Amino acid sequence: MIVLGPIIFGFLLGLVVGSRIRNDAEVNIGLTSGAIVLLFIVSIIIAWKLGNFPYYNDFPVATGFISAFIGLVIGKLIFGRSKNTN
Amino acid sequence: MSNDGSTVLKLLALPISIILICLGVNTILGGHITPGGGFQGGAMISAGVILSLFVYGFDKNPIDFSPSFVSAVESFGALFYVFLGLVGLVFAGSFLYNVGGDFFGIVPPMIKAIFHYPDPTNAGIIPYLNMTVGLKVMVGLTAVAIAFSQFKTFEEEQEEGDDE
Repeated sequence: MIVLGPIIFGFLLGLVVGSRIRNDAEVNIGLTSGAIVLLFIVSIIIAWKLGNFPYYNDFPVATGFISAFIGLVIGKLIFGRSKNTN
Repeated sequence: MSNDGSTVLKLLALPISIILICLGVNTILGGHITPGGGFQGGAMISAGVILSLFVYGFDKNPIDFSPSFVSAVESFGALFYVFLGLVGLVFAGSFLYNVGGDFFGIVPPMIKAIFHYPDPTNAGIIPYLNMTVGLKVMVGLTAVAIAFSQFKTFEEEQEEGDDE
């Protein structure tokens, strides 16, 4: 049985932080789509080395870690602001 | 705090920050069964943001926590913690009673189902409490770092204002 807790709430927490990643030309950080794919592969390796929590027998990887990364990237893509208005 | 850091540092700081943030979220989510929890995970997320702040500088920081965001997230964390406590007070008679776990069987099944964290350990509201604390600590520690990084600029602006 898939444990939904870390998947859902990891995604939400990642989304909250990802929504604050700036996405404009002034901040030239080079987080391109290729870099995101590379980071995703790295995050899968880290999650595999971390392993899942005790008593969570659904996946051999840390699902909270991967869902946080996915939430972060989706938050950046959807809510990534162009300028700090506050 | 300057923007004259090395290229390698600027190239690697954001990916490391992102990995640190994900690790912090993982620590928050495992707080009820593994070492760690809300404070530790929040501090790890904050460390990721502060790393980015120190390498890129305040003006060009890609992970930009604005004052309104800090205020909103910190308020949400505190209010949701109190809300979870009040739910226990209303339905079980004790503040912060674990209505999701309900070890004494005194909470209505519907309330128990709402606040039950979906995992095999029957943790109830403990992961939610970890998340609220994690959100508070994340923005709180970052706000402290931002404030410390801006004191000198603020003083210089104040002195220029006094001279004029």
